[in-house]
Amino acid sequence: MRISRSGLAGLTLAVIAVLVLPMAAGGQWLKIFTSTTAFALAAMGAGFMYARLGMVSLAQVGLMGLGGWITLRLNHAYGFPFEVNLLIGAVITSVLGMVLALPALRMRGLYLALITLMVAGGLEVIFTAHQFPNGGAGFWGVGTSFSATMRRPALGQSDESFLRYALVIAVLGFLLIDAHLRSRPGRAWALIRRSEAAALASGVNVTLYKTWAFGLSGLLAGLGGGILAASLGLLDAATFRASESVLLFALVVVGGARFWLGAVITAVLYRVAPGLLNNWGVDADLALVFFGAALLHAVITAPEGIAGQIFGLFKMEAANDRA
Amino acid sequence: MREILKSLLLWVALVGVLALALGHGKPPNVLGLFIVSGLAVGSLYALGGIGLVVLYRATGVLNLAAGAIGAVAVMVAWQLVQWGIFAPLAWVMGLALGPMLATAYGRTLASRMAWREPVVKAVASLGFAFVLLGLVSFLWSDDPRKFELPTDKAAVMLLGLRVTVTRLVVVGATIALVIGISAALDSTRIGLQMRALANNRRLSSLIGIPITRVETLAWALSGLIFGFTGLMFGDLVRLDPSVITFLVIPCVAAAIAGRLQSLPDVLMGGLAMGVIESLLTLSDTFKDVRPIAPYVIAALVLLLMNRGRHLTFSGED
Repeated sequence: MRISRSGLAGLTLAVIAVLVLPMAAGGQWLKIFTSTTAFALAAMGAGFMYARLGMVSLAQVGLMGLGGWITLRLNHAYGFPFEVNLLIGAVITSVLGMVLALPALRMRGLYLALITLMVAGGLEVIFTAHQFPNGGAGFWGVGTSFSATMRRPALGQSDESFLRYALVIAVLGFLLIDAHLRSRPGRAWALIRRSEAAALASGVNVTLYKTWAFGLSGLLAGLGGGILAASLGLLDAATFRASESVLLFALVVVGGARFWLGAVITAVLYRVAPGLLNNWGVDADLALVFFGAALLHAVITAPEGIAGQIFGLFKMEAANDRA
Repeated sequence: MREILKSLLLWVALVGVLALALGHGKPPNVLGLFIVSGLAVGSLYALGGIGLVVLYRATGVLNLAAGAIGAVAVMVAWQLVQWGIFAPLAWVMGLALGPMLATAYGRTLASRMAWREPVVKAVASLGFAFVLLGLVSFLWSDDPRKFELPTDKAAVMLLGLRVTVTRLVVVGATIALVIGISAALDSTRIGLQMRALANNRRLSSLIGIPITRVETLAWALSGLIFGFTGLMFGDLVRLDPSVITFLVIPCVAAAIAGRLQSLPDVLMGGLAMGVIESLLTLSDTFKDVRPIAPYVIAALVLLLMNRGRHLTFSGED
């Protein structure tokens, strides 16, 4: 298997991050980096769908909330280890992502984006009304006076080791996407992107592969949500508003939807930049102005996003890497 | 006309069935109360939806910055009133910002993306929305504020509910807009040009339709509607820039109810969404999640729209 230069850079960065980041970051920053990792996973899912298939998902953060909800729910209901909860949560989110995709498959472009926007709006309403399970009774599992603990994985009991754990899962998620792109689904997606008619004519099951893309994207969002739940112990409905899904997608375009680095940049802009600006005494609202301007810039003149410009600078892109 | 009556029947039947199912055993005046308050909310969704559809038909841009434009309009109007400027003048100045912002975006940025796919244009308008929302939130920190109109004080009794004149103005304006715009599209020259543009942009330009002029008009008109929606939402519901910015999501739901093209359907769909949302208060199961109604309805409309349709290969959305 050939490893591209950008892939090599990514793996090197990941190793450095796993070794150094938990030691270098202290206190609040550990949690911020962990949630950045969770959002990077979700951003990767939305990004690959947009870059490879031109499908816009405006419900990615909502799906993260779904994954987090299921993980929390399982954690408080049964004694499964964290890994099992995380995986079940991610798989159910993925299946729901596919179900969501089914009606959208016959729609193109704008209508597909709109149905995901409706889903994001609906999830926001449900999360706000029912909140997230904290160990209470009943299906919704919300108790008012107490909060049970969220179990963490055996390998990630402390905040430092959990950050490492999250980073490793994120790398696995990125590699999963890469494996898809290098094999049959990747070729099918490339053909579908070029022309659905041509794809169908050459025997590609268009419906299956589009649904598969939704499922994969949902899986990553679910993983991200589960990690976020374990990192914080408790989730808040305000994290998963429809506006957050919309903002995350905007940043995916800004960061560069086609690259692993784009997903990392997206998550850093989303999760780290506002805090940094606050520390520097700049109003975080101004970050929003910058994000908006950057989105317009990216759409109009720089479709490869920031990551594309960085890779272009170092000529790290293989010529045949273009979708 | 026949189409309109058909969908009117459909929406009324939908609302009627739900009203009977949910209001079973409740006194009729309680039901009336919920219907009237639902119409008030629904007309706000419809109003925003109309602005979206007018623009989308003429330019192919689904302007997701609609809410943000409304937020700017109402915040500026509020600020001007606070500074002691003669109130009606302040409202007009706030309202005027709507068409100015929309046209500025339409003429400078949106025109550079005219040939792109509709979904890309919609995503780009999100950028404009974030710029506006960021600026507004920066200029006005999160304090509780109130935007008031003199029509809030006056009220009439309708089906046992006290309805402020402001709410009546919103419902009236929404209906008047739909009738007015539909008539203009049908019988004026610029309306004809707008319909031509909605049908096929490239052919329209070939036969000499002044595309820029027609599009600018559409941007200005939609901007005015967004500004008005913002002002009314700020008065009736909440004066909070980020809430008003993302009011665009239920407005999109109303626009979907009209399949992004039929204004009467946007009106009826939007009103039905508001009424159903309000009626859900009667149900114990759905009481807490009632704002979900517009999204569920919009998703159903999308499903119905695509019933029997196979994969599409080419052409525009």
